[in-house]
Amino acid sequence: MSRKAPIGADLAIPLLALGFAVYFFWSIADLTWEAKANGVVIGTALIALVGVQLVRMALRVARGEADLRTDPLWQPSEVLAKRVGMVLVTVAFIAVLQLLGLTLSLLIAMMASLAIMGVRKVSTVLWISFAVAAAAYILFIAVLDSAFPHGVIEKLLS
Amino acid sequence: MSWEFLAGQFAAQFGLWWVIWPGILLGIVVGILPGFSPQNTLIMLLPLTLAIPVEQAFAFMVAMYCANHLAGGVPAILVKIPGSGGAAATTLDGYPMTQKGQAQQAIVLSFTASVFGGLITTLATLALLPWLSQIGLYLRSVEMVVVMLFGLTLIAVIAARDTLKGLISGLFGLLIGVIGTDHIYNAPRATFGFLELYDGVPLVAALIGLFAVSEALVMMEEKLIVGAEGRERAMRASWSDTLDGLRLTVKHWWHIVWTSFVGLFIGIVPGAGASIAAFVAYQQSRLWSKHPELYGTGIPEGVIAPEAANNGVTSGTLVPMMALGVPGGTTSAVMMIVLQYHGMVMGPRLFTTNPELAYGVFVAMAVAYIFMILTILPLARYMARIVLIETTYLAPIIILVTVVAAFSERQYLFDMGLALVFGVIGYIAHKTNYHVTAMLIGIILGPLFEQYLARSLRISQGDLTVLFSSTIGNVLWAFLVLSLVLPALKNTLRRKSLSRP
Repeated sequence: MSRKAPIGADLAIPLLALGFAVYFFWSIADLTWEAKANGVVIGTALIALVGVQLVRMALRVARGEADLRTDPLWQPSEVLAKRVGMVLVTVAFIAVLQLLGLTLSLLIAMMASLAIMGVRKVSTVLWISFAVAAAAYILFIAVLDSAFPHGVIEKLLS
Repeated sequence: MSWEFLAGQFAAQFGLWWVIWPGILLGIVVGILPGFSPQNTLIMLLPLTLAIPVEQAFAFMVAMYCANHLAGGVPAILVKIPGSGGAAATTLDGYPMTQKGQAQQAIVLSFTASVFGGLITTLATLALLPWLSQIGLYLRSVEMVVVMLFGLTLIAVIAARDTLKGLISGLFGLLIGVIGTDHIYNAPRATFGFLELYDGVPLVAALIGLFAVSEALVMMEEKLIVGAEGRERAMRASWSDTLDGLRLTVKHWWHIVWTSFVGLFIGIVPGAGASIAAFVAYQQSRLWSKHPELYGTGIPEGVIAPEAANNGVTSGTLVPMMALGVPGGTTSAVMMIVLQYHGMVMGPRLFTTNPELAYGVFVAMAVAYIFMILTILPLARYMARIVLIETTYLAPIIILVTVVAAFSERQYLFDMGLALVFGVIGYIAHKTNYHVTAMLIGIILGPLFEQYLARSLRISQGDLTVLFSSTIGNVLWAFLVLSLVLPALKNTLRRKSLSRP
């Protein structure tokens, strides 16, 4: 097993920042100076700092102290499936919200999330999901009257 | 202002307990829930506050505002999710105290620092109001640009273990904060083609994503958010832990006093706000500490400084509004609308034409703080129990409920997706030590920074050297450089003295 520090993951934020700064410059290219001054000032400073960080990392790799493995992002591996599962459930929850309404989609998303997290007792999954969905209904629909999409449950209870 | 007048004001405000108490309870709920801001709640309650007499409306609004600042520290301490940007600095030592099994002490410290910090600065404001109101006049757009950069630099230096990573996070956040149309020409910049980003990045979605979602994704690695020892302590939690928190408050009373004044002075600067105040107070606290290396490991001073400062801001924010007619933040702008609806004209004349209201606002604040400590202190023991909930249940609840809360600011489904995107960015930042706090503060300051820089450039016709043209601005630049150099210098001297035989 390598004893070098895995610093590949450390590239993620600088590369994101660099990509975003370049996109920002592209999006402001045709604007007048006053409209783009902020982007130019902040973006230039950001790119300079990212440059310093990349040089610092390259030197560590060149000296043999570190390599470009990205382990910290994926470790511990047994939790990775739960993480990805939770992100996918949240994406699906937002996608079906318009169709099913807040209460029903939250109820289903909570049940799926708890199953992904390894809760196997059906009664526990049901009562926690019900409690969360009911609390969301009371707070957001009944009390605050937010503009959340209304589905079957909201229409039944209105 | 005579003592009789003041005593009469206190008696009148105590008589308004029936509007102050609901304001406190509502403020606590709004403060604990990320996604609910006091300004949005006040806007929703406008029909109520416009309908009741102005003294009652103001007592209610002020109580809610102060309680909101106090309660934002609770989720910051318990689950590392600040209820608002002003509580972001509280996570730095509050959450480590929770992980050590000292959640109850940390919550009590947060409450007492908030209440006493708020109370002291309110009384000081009452006494010094005519002089304090002048401070805002000396800070124009050029100086404000430097104030913003100073705040961001401090945060980058404080929050991150690695200053370079902290600065990259802060500037990345600042650039994200500039997304949207510019103030002068309305030209869209870096919106990725989304109309929802034309108004800029919604702060609530950024706060929820960077703190709540990312932290929930990280906490899955452990069964509980506290270690085995912390769990034992939390199981044995009793009233003695509340008393221990009070003992720590008494021990650090001077710390509460001076850090709350940092909040007061920063609160007076329009636009600076609780986020900067909390971080500046934390940085100053660490700078003057005999054991700066312990900051970030869960020490009482690290909770006291940001909490006392973000409540010191509450009275400071109202100073420019009452004395100059310039609201110091969004919440005070909403309050100003209510006052104007009732025919009150803000500005220096308010203190002569309507002293009962002008001074009564600050007296109401003091009374609200007194009610607050009696209401919330007994709850600390029960709030601390949240750390015993297994992450198997806690993580999905946090992710789904906070993503739902992201909708509340602008009522766009888009913001829920954006919170998830920020959650993934926050997770990567967590795992690679790019501090999310610096990123969030950058996003908060982005639009303000842009506004002040645009004004400065208008004055100078596009010449950037205008940023070095004012004496106060140059002094602030010097402080900015010192804030970068001094900690490094102090560390070097400390290392040298430790290595000496």
